[in-house]
Amino acid sequence: MHRQFFFASLLLFVASGFVLWQQDRSPKPIGITPTITGQVEYCLTCHTDLPEISQSHPVETFGCVLCHGGEPMALTADLAHSTMRGGANPSDLSVVEASCGGEMCHSGTPQVNRDHIQRVTTSLQATYAGAIAQVRYAFGAQPDLTARMGIYAIDGLAAFDRTAESSPALQAFGSNCLSCHLSAQPLEGEAYNRWSGCSACHSPAPREDGTLVHRLTTSMPYTQCNACHNRGNYSLSDLQFHSRGDTPTDRLHDYYQPIAEFTRCEWTLDCEDCHTRQEAMGDGHVYSSKKDIQYVRCRTCHGTLDSLPLTHTITDVNDLSLRLAFLNPVVDLKVGDTILMTDKGELLWNIRVVPGEEGATPTYELFSKAKGERYTFKPVMGSTCQQKPDQQEAHYCHECHATQR
Amino acid sequence: MNAMPPKGDIISRRSFLSWLVKGSLAGSALIGFGMLGRFISFQSEKSPPSQYDLGLVTDYPVGSRKPDLTTQAVIIHDNQGYRAISLVCPHLGCKVNMTSDGFACPCHGSRFLPDGSLRNGPASRPLTTLRIEANAQGHLILYMH
Repeated sequence: MHRQFFFASLLLFVASGFVLWQQDRSPKPIGITPTITGQVEYCLTCHTDLPEISQSHPVETFGCVLCHGGEPMALTADLAHSTMRGGANPSDLSVVEASCGGEMCHSGTPQVNRDHIQRVTTSLQATYAGAIAQVRYAFGAQPDLTARMGIYAIDGLAAFDRTAESSPALQAFGSNCLSCHLSAQPLEGEAYNRWSGCSACHSPAPREDGTLVHRLTTSMPYTQCNACHNRGNYSLSDLQFHSRGDTPTDRLHDYYQPIAEFTRCEWTLDCEDCHTRQEAMGDGHVYSSKKDIQYVRCRTCHGTLDSLPLTHTITDVNDLSLRLAFLNPVVDLKVGDTILMTDKGELLWNIRVVPGEEGATPTYELFSKAKGERYTFKPVMGSTCQQKPDQQEAHYCHECHATQR
Repeated sequence: MNAMPPKGDIISRRSFLSWLVKGSLAGSALIGFGMLGRFISFQSEKSPPSQYDLGLVTDYPVGSRKPDLTTQAVIIHDNQGYRAISLVCPHLGCKVNMTSDGFACPCHGSRFLPDGSLRNGPASRPLTTLRIEANAQGHLILYMH
């Protein structure tokens, strides 16, 4: 009995000392109390060297936990990270509502342009509904090209389940061809490297050595889009992905469609300079084809022989264009400026009408969102162009304006 | 000759072990109470005070607009007296910057006129006006709530 007591007391002493030693080894906590949550969090104890993720999300206002989840008071990595949302990517669509949502953030109302999450989750890039409809139609699983299924179920779409398909081709499609939607993990290889969810577009991809870049941005070069849109094709003949075999050495050839034609603006600008928020992120409706939502055409900026492009004059300090220009300040937009506008009323805030003489042919200036470079151009009206106003598909314009590749 | 030391000068094995047990228990108790005390007295972040002494009123002459970093407020002294405007944006809580024409939020672009009223969103409210008073000792006291 005495011997047991002796060993028990020694064991207790050693254990107490060990706990004390462990506690002293722990880093000295660095706490912040973000303005929004008012709750202290100790993430900066280990993450002081992380750069601010964006001007709109300063850490002293948002903290880390509001977006990333995790245990705010924990001082060990395992415990602190145990309840993080989406691993290192809280914008993954499976957790995005908890991470980025909220009325004041990215799932508010369309009226105040805060419905980003609702729109994105219905977009073709997220649902892949268009591709699924076309392939199911091609293999006789549905009678027309109307979208019926998506990567996940939402109002108007059932979830695509390859195991429920009777056609072996559709089963192969489900196995081999669903690697480019916003919830998919990227294919292996540096060329495909990207995040999922919002970060697929708005965050730089992890570097080749695996290090991550803590950044959210609306300034996205075309290379960001290339991770999905320029790396090869899915083939209907064998239902496999075929990566492109060439290695482009210049921008003109950095397009994946060998037979396609491109005008100068298509291969000098970045995708987001022309394609709008609603084209890329959806408008809240389910569409069956990219053609139904991708509506910016040459005439959107250049007009036709008998009409100038649509314009919008900024008269209100709360104009959405001013907010968008603030977030990516490549142009000093102000009340009184006139900018271009799409048929659907989307504001092309980076394309401004250069003030000139009344009645003179206007000049437009485009500021590229990723590079901040300024380009000027003229409308078709008043030019020597002979294109019929009712023939405005891009291929008509390409007949004269495509660059030889 | 007897090599053994006198019996009273050595610690017996039993005594040694007894002291070792007592020492271990005392050490464990000390460590335990120390950690308990540290746990009980732990205060993650001190609650910010509800009022601040901003110093002598004479430091804020008529016509001055002095930002105060501690309270994140700007103290204005004009013909109407002393006023304090919070520099925390009512949109999401970022700290607004003072500009030549009022205040501007660096996060989302809300702007406010020099008196704190809203110029443009996304904020939907003006900057918060804080209570400020001069006390009997001639000090300005700023109340945060």
